[in-house]
Amino acid sequence: MLASIKSLALLALAATAAQAAVVTYDWNITYVNANPDGLHERRVIGVNGQFPIPTINVTLGDTLVINVINQIDQPTSLHSHGLFQTGNAQFDGPSMVTQCPIPPGANFTYTIPIEQHGTYWIHGHNRGQYVDGLRGPLIIHNTNETYKYDEEYTFALADWYHTEHEIMLEQYLSIFNPSGAEPVPESGLINQRTDTKFNFVPGKTYRLRIINMSALAMFHFYIDGHDMEIIEVDGIDVERKPVTSFYVTAAQRYSVLVKARADASQNFLVHADMDPAMFDVVPPELQLKVQGTIVYSESAPLAPNGVTDEYEPFNDALLVPVVPEATQKPDQIFPLTAAFSVLNDYSNKATFNDITYVMPKVPTLYTALTTGNLSSNPEVYGKYAHPMVVKHNEWVEIIINNDDPGNHPFHLHGHVFQIVGRSTGKYDPASGPYPGYIDSPNPSRRDTVLVPSEENVAIRFKANNPGVWLFHCHIEWHLQAGLATTLIEAPEVMPSVLKIDPTHIEHCKALGIPYRGNAAGNEGLNLDGANIGPDPLPGTFTAKGIVALVFTIISALLGLATVIWYAREDDAHISAQVAQAKNTEEEH
Amino acid sequence: MGSLFSVPIYFVIFRETTEAAVIVSVLLSFLSQVITSDEHMRKRLARQVWAGTALGLLISIAVGAAFIVVWNKYGNNLWAGSEGIWVGVFSLVAVVMITVMGMAMLRTTQIQEKWKVKLSKAMDDENQKGLGNASRRYAMFLLPLITVLREGLEAIVFIGGVTFTTESKSIPLAVVVGLISGFIVGYILYRGGNRMNLHRFFTASTCLLLLLAAGLVARAVASFEAYVWGKLTNAQSDDGGTYDPRYNVWALSCCDPKNNDLGGWQLFNALFGWSNIGSIGSVVCYIAYWLIVIVALVYMKLKHRSVARANALRSVHESSNTTSGEKHSLELEDEKIAPVATPTPAAEATHVQGDAIGQDHPVDLKHI
Repeated sequence: MLASIKSLALLALAATAAQAAVVTYDWNITYVNANPDGLHERRVIGVNGQFPIPTINVTLGDTLVINVINQIDQPTSLHSHGLFQTGNAQFDGPSMVTQCPIPPGANFTYTIPIEQHGTYWIHGHNRGQYVDGLRGPLIIHNTNETYKYDEEYTFALADWYHTEHEIMLEQYLSIFNPSGAEPVPESGLINQRTDTKFNFVPGKTYRLRIINMSALAMFHFYIDGHDMEIIEVDGIDVERKPVTSFYVTAAQRYSVLVKARADASQNFLVHADMDPAMFDVVPPELQLKVQGTIVYSESAPLAPNGVTDEYEPFNDALLVPVVPEATQKPDQIFPLTAAFSVLNDYSNKATFNDITYVMPKVPTLYTALTTGNLSSNPEVYGKYAHPMVVKHNEWVEIIINNDDPGNHPFHLHGHVFQIVGRSTGKYDPASGPYPGYIDSPNPSRRDTVLVPSEENVAIRFKANNPGVWLFHCHIEWHLQAGLATTLIEAPEVMPSVLKIDPTHIEHCKALGIPYRGNAAGNEGLNLDGANIGPDPLPGTFTAKGIVALVFTIISALLGLATVIWYAREDDAHISAQVAQAKNTEEEH
Repeated sequence: MGSLFSVPIYFVIFRETTEAAVIVSVLLSFLSQVITSDEHMRKRLARQVWAGTALGLLISIAVGAAFIVVWNKYGNNLWAGSEGIWVGVFSLVAVVMITVMGMAMLRTTQIQEKWKVKLSKAMDDENQKGLGNASRRYAMFLLPLITVLREGLEAIVFIGGVTFTTESKSIPLAVVVGLISGFIVGYILYRGGNRMNLHRFFTASTCLLLLLAAGLVARAVASFEAYVWGKLTNAQSDDGGTYDPRYNVWALSCCDPKNNDLGGWQLFNALFGWSNIGSIGSVVCYIAYWLIVIVALVYMKLKHRSVARANALRSVHESSNTTSGEKHSLELEDEKIAPVATPTPAAEATHVQGDAIGQDHPVDLKHI
């Protein structure tokens, strides 16, 4: 059983053995000064002194090697978004989940067997570093693509801020932001620019790979004068679906086929409109409508601008994967309700089932590998890592309730999942079985799904990848606010499948981070000293509240008593005194 | 409940109506006692009293209504945006007015005596100066008119202070009920109702008024704090239900007076200033208000006692030195130091009413 995982991976490699190669990238993570929107130069995080960072191109069957040297002054890590990392969880990237972050000045080599193909991206996964620019496309080619096309272009969409993310994060999480208003970007970019051009030759068919690398923004994508057919979603090839426009949330990817027009008489605009519903306020100077140009001929005039505010409704659950996978009855169902509220540290935080995610003291993967039999006990990972423990090859279902006015894209590391249900309102397991199941023999699959406000979505996958996989909202501000859980998949199998490279442990030691034991770094279930998160406010009287209320009541009663005393007639008192005076006088 | 019936306005109207009714009842009683022989004249003069009172009330109400209409049309929108501060400031103005009026209400039973004293004083002066007839003929009309007008304008000023923080639809009902209650009390006084019960009633009314004012203090402070917090957090709207955690003492998830479904808590808020979110500022200011009231009441009472005692002692001393034929006018230093209400054996000598009013003399009321 244990061997089958490894042999599956090897088989995948063997299938393309003829062209399997080791593709190496040497990446020095550095600070660079850049001004991508032409409005404001600022410090960004780049690679090898460049921004935007290089695009990674590999082929199914290759081994991707990224030699990272951290040359910024903060720890960092890299996550290859969408890659399964089968039996390779220690290279997945999220800091304090699968590794200690890479210390400043240190090396870290990511070695990733490529077992899938499609459109992906790679980005920083320590704090919000990817918002500062550490993000770029990761394109995995297939030697035999499902669809035929002549050329391909990548459209990497992103929102862009003029301020460094640490500063915005501090403001976002401060007590003076109780409504949890996310920072609003200053512009939107295509391929980290505002003036992209793509050359089209009449009659050719193009594959456009659309990636949304945003911290927050959701884009509506459409092209003037051209039809589009969706052929891939989050790395899963799907049957052709003609659309006039579609939405892409943060971290989602699509490929579309576009046939060029027959003549070169005009150039056309490509539209990537940021959806204003994602932003707390829309400042007047923010250009929501981002554009690129399809150029047939340099001298050709631009066709009339077809920009619009009305978009065709788009439901990604209707996409049909080319490689079918039937669903199965789940062995475990996890209902999760996402919400935002002010917790007892008085900042606005995100919760799943009233628990906000806080990083443990030991990377969760290392806890799973060093706690022996206890690794199947969720307690060992700490309450605030919100562990969901599943057994090897179980079918797992997660029902996500979005109990928040905002729309949230949720992403699962290490897997694609089937979208098996959609419904409105909040699903309460106590009310009976889930009502929104879509009955499909071949449900749509992807790794990042949008759950609109006050709606819910059910997703399902098979736990065939031992490891620790983060499940979180991919709006970066919300991840930092704690909208995350950790999937502990097949801990009983992990030690035989995963081996941690000693250099990773060295990095933990360099940063003073414990690398053995439970969430507090202790043996067994003793969680003293674990990182504890804020909890919901009690909403009832505390001791000082009762004292204050009692004093107000006492003061009111004393006041009223004084009024009554004041209003009493004094005659008896005065007549007594007068009588006394009379007596005194009469004595004389 | 707070949205349809403004309790502070009710009490303002009630108090002013009561005092007007007291004045009318005093005048009518005076007429009954003084004009014992000429029934026709008594009736004519009584009609004058009623006419003057009615006209005075009419004008007061008309002016008051006009004021409120103008205010609502133009005044209300002047300060959207800095609403928190305006609500707070005008609430504090209302607090001062209500407190002063509440304390004054405790002296209502002295009003009758005050008026009788004034009437007799005027008759003294009339004896001395001897004025023409014309003013006398319509004196019974002019006196209530002027008095009610004065009381009415006082009420408008008080209401002005309270209305700033009140929704316009809560005003009419409160005014009507206040008028009715005031009439009832005045009628009871006219019929010589049990002074003791009335006194208790006024005491209770003052208690409620001061509770209201204390609650208003808490609400005013909360309003200021909400304004400041809104600025700190760049709040888009003034709802949100958030608060400054650094100065908070309680935050309940229940019992929110802003929640329209739970009418009870709204009432609590209107009467006592209750809020599900309690801050250090609002609690401290609430307690401080009561402390100020207590200190003021104690001070006034002790001062009043010492003056009354001095007066009583002096009159005892004087009456043992002089003949009993002379009358003595009491010097009324100011309204707060009124003569002792209930006649006692020793104090009886200090009351002037018996002597002066017993005479069959039209009174020159212009000098009252």
